[in-house]
Amino acid sequence: MKNGNFSCGSSVHGISRRQMLGSLGGLAGFGSLLHPAIARDIQQGKKQVCLIWLDGGISQYESWHPLPDSKFAGPFRSIKTSIPGVHFSELMPHTAKIAHKISVIRTMATKDPNHSTGVPRIQRGDPLDRGVDYPYLGSAIAKLLGPADPDLPPYIWIKPGNGGFIHREAGFLGAQYGALALGDGRPPVHIHRPDNVSTQLDAARNALRQKANERFKAYRNTSDVDAYETSYDMARQLMARKEIFDDEKLNQKDRERYGTHPLGRHVLQARQLLEAGVRFVKVNSYHWDTHGDNFNMSQRLVPQADQPFAALINDLDDRGMLDNTLVVMMSEFGRTPLINSRLGRDHWPDCWSLALAGCGIKRGAIIGDTTRDGAFVDGEGYDVGHLFHTIFSVLGINSRRVHYRHKGQKLAIANDDCEPIKEVML
Amino acid sequence: MRSTFFNSIYLFAIVTLQANTPLHERIDGLIREKAVGHSFSGVCDDATFLRRVTLDLTGNIPTAGDVLTFLKDQSPNKRKELIDRLITGDLFADHWMERLSVMLLERLDQGKVTQAEWGHFLKQTLREEPLWDVMVRHMIKANGKGPARSAMKFLGTADHHAMTENVSRLLLGMDLTCAKCHDHPSVKEWKQAHYWGLFAYLNQTRQATHKKEEKVYLVEGLASKKVEFESVFDLEKMSTGPRLPNGGEVEIPQFEKGKEYVKPAEDGLPAVPRFRPREQLAEDLTSGENSGFVRNSVNRIWFLLLGRGLSHPLDQMHGKNPPSHPKLLELLAHEFVSHDFNLKWLLREIMLSKTYQRSSRLPEGVTKVEPASYRVTSPKGLTPEQLLRSLMRATGNTGQIKALKVDPEAEKFDRKGYFTGSNVELPPSLEEMQAIFIQTFGQPPGEAAVDFSPGVNKSLFLMNDRLIQHWLKPLGNNLVARLGKLETTDAVARRMYLSVLSRLPEEEEKTWVNAYLEKNEQRRTNALGDLAWALLNSAEFRFNH
Repeated sequence: MKNGNFSCGSSVHGISRRQMLGSLGGLAGFGSLLHPAIARDIQQGKKQVCLIWLDGGISQYESWHPLPDSKFAGPFRSIKTSIPGVHFSELMPHTAKIAHKISVIRTMATKDPNHSTGVPRIQRGDPLDRGVDYPYLGSAIAKLLGPADPDLPPYIWIKPGNGGFIHREAGFLGAQYGALALGDGRPPVHIHRPDNVSTQLDAARNALRQKANERFKAYRNTSDVDAYETSYDMARQLMARKEIFDDEKLNQKDRERYGTHPLGRHVLQARQLLEAGVRFVKVNSYHWDTHGDNFNMSQRLVPQADQPFAALINDLDDRGMLDNTLVVMMSEFGRTPLINSRLGRDHWPDCWSLALAGCGIKRGAIIGDTTRDGAFVDGEGYDVGHLFHTIFSVLGINSRRVHYRHKGQKLAIANDDCEPIKEVML
Repeated sequence: MRSTFFNSIYLFAIVTLQANTPLHERIDGLIREKAVGHSFSGVCDDATFLRRVTLDLTGNIPTAGDVLTFLKDQSPNKRKELIDRLITGDLFADHWMERLSVMLLERLDQGKVTQAEWGHFLKQTLREEPLWDVMVRHMIKANGKGPARSAMKFLGTADHHAMTENVSRLLLGMDLTCAKCHDHPSVKEWKQAHYWGLFAYLNQTRQATHKKEEKVYLVEGLASKKVEFESVFDLEKMSTGPRLPNGGEVEIPQFEKGKEYVKPAEDGLPAVPRFRPREQLAEDLTSGENSGFVRNSVNRIWFLLLGRGLSHPLDQMHGKNPPSHPKLLELLAHEFVSHDFNLKWLLREIMLSKTYQRSSRLPEGVTKVEPASYRVTSPKGLTPEQLLRSLMRATGNTGQIKALKVDPEAEKFDRKGYFTGSNVELPPSLEEMQAIFIQTFGQPPGEAAVDFSPGVNKSLFLMNDRLIQHWLKPLGNNLVARLGKLETTDAVARRMYLSVLSRLPEEEEKTWVNAYLEKNEQRRTNALGDLAWALLNSAEFRFNH
């Protein structure tokens, strides 16, 4: 927080609730990072995002861009999709049927062949170096759009392993724009009221707490105290709605449609959270780094992405949500055309594929020309900076005009040297 | 002639008078001077004062017994006596070790000196009469030798840019991060040359391992030329030698070949150059003449007690962000230097002022006061460490702690599992509990702990945490167990308010307690826990007000 005073009058009080909702970590820093006039211009609407992150790098040859006749092809066939003349790998039968609802970019050309630097670089949108740590996409959207439902955190991250309140993705925006992470799909333990405390009892003791606060607040400057109370109101809202985190409640038929493996369960859970009104949901799947035995691994992994991805697109479409919900499925890079001696494919940032759908993205656009064997972009490729401009644009954020403000510095929200990818946008 | 003479006498009298007036009264005078015509809150009541001072000096709330004793004490000097007693005690050293460490390291744990060794250095210094300039000098020039070895924790891994940023931000109140690549875009007086001038004091420093001792030292290489830098905006090439912002450039001495070093290389440590810019920095920076250092020092000390810097935010001391009370900042700076940077003296004087002792309740008839006016006290959020200790004391569970430190022999406590629910054990040591509280309530490592920042996760923790629930069950002689033995609800209310909120309950509050217990007659023990829960989760407990 840059300025602890509230000489600006009532705004602190007025904003505190919204701020608290947008911030699981704290109340600090609201408003100071966005130019106020521009912040007002953002058309927030009810736009939502689901990012499915295949960590380690999915092979474009075994998914979006099969090229079975090229010298780099693997053992899998390509299959027809719902778009005449467009083929996906046979490992993606479900998505092939809904190809007309999504767009695929086959000419992503990025810079970094390392996971350790590549993941943050891609998820931050590879901005120009301004000497600060940029936020990852989810934190950026939490900052730029705030919560879609005022009672729910704006950024939820479903991932295998540990969860909790994870602030590191927020970068210079500050801890409050971090993610509420559901480790193995479960919310942090502190969301649960102890078993021996009934709803009635809880209300009674909270009434006591509130009475004590009323008494304390009388005759005092109320800013910090109000913020403190608001954090309790929000915490209780979250506790009251914890069923949206409960994957036990998911319908059995849905489970089968999405797949019973972790990625299937987590994408289904993402749908539940999007329906509940969460602004940004990221779903992580790990172990896509197929340096050895690429084909057996792809045969096992790609269907685990194919099935829930297609189910999610169909469900969002059926519910009329797709036009307001952006779905992105991607990795930090693709995999080498050349198959190595361990029957693996290595890291390949030079030409790879990703999928986008919904919310201002064209339906059925397959974009980008590559060389015949798919190894290189034929012409200009798209960097992740272009992707970020595109994502912001379809969410109604003018990525040229809107800036972050950090310590007096105006910072572009996406790489200055890039533009939105017009051919994928409606 | 005559009038000049009298004027001189008059001026002399004023200066003498002021010099004889204790600093705490002059503080109050300058605070009043800026708000002439406005009302001020009165001095807080004794119980609030006791809680405030005990938290500020020892990092804990007072016990119920402390409160009763202090309320009964008839001495007109009891506030001063309390400050004197606490500031000379061991708990002061323990707590201010935490406060200073959090401010200087921002919860980062880097370099080869352990947290324990660094804490020991701070504690040893704080037990005596700590002189701030001497402490900082040790931190800057520490090279690993001698008793001040642990002070080199401040320089971390000797990363040149990190050291430059930390020295400028934490010791000069200047966040020069932007100025690494170009002059500051909005603060005209912060130049890129300021950043690189400080950098030039530090860029010869590195870690080196002493082969026999197998210990890491911070050594300096030979500085023979200026550092070069260019602005990313115009790519103009510039250079500078070591230089403090607003100070003169230190000329890098050139020695004849063979005379550059005072000591040859040995045991893995390189030769020691005659000119050592970092040692020079330790002297130049901490000089009483370096107004940037002195003003930043008093501003941060003032902040730690008042919750708000005279210049705020703390690392934005520049013309576009003037201090709320410029004369007071100058006075504190001047007096701190003339009292040899004596930390305890300054703390004592600030705490003796009416400004520090003011109530956090607004003056009669006023609904809102600008905090920067100090017409009313701004409540400060408890630090994670204060919160943990206060929770344990309030619930009477301090005695239940089985171990202070993590037992290195025992199986490691699964802290991640504690937060996800897969580990249902309670943390076995105070150190582990503290780690849980810091993780929940502390700022992320590397971020300054300046303003109170509530959060949903923090409130969820206080409401539902297993350890806190555990403390609210009757155990041994803890609060709920003792309350259970009391006959009257008045006695319950009295004991509970004294223990948790460090004051006596008011009539209205007694009726709340009475009503709740009557309604929950069948489950009285649990109801006592509920009442304590409500008070622990109230704002009054969460703040030092």
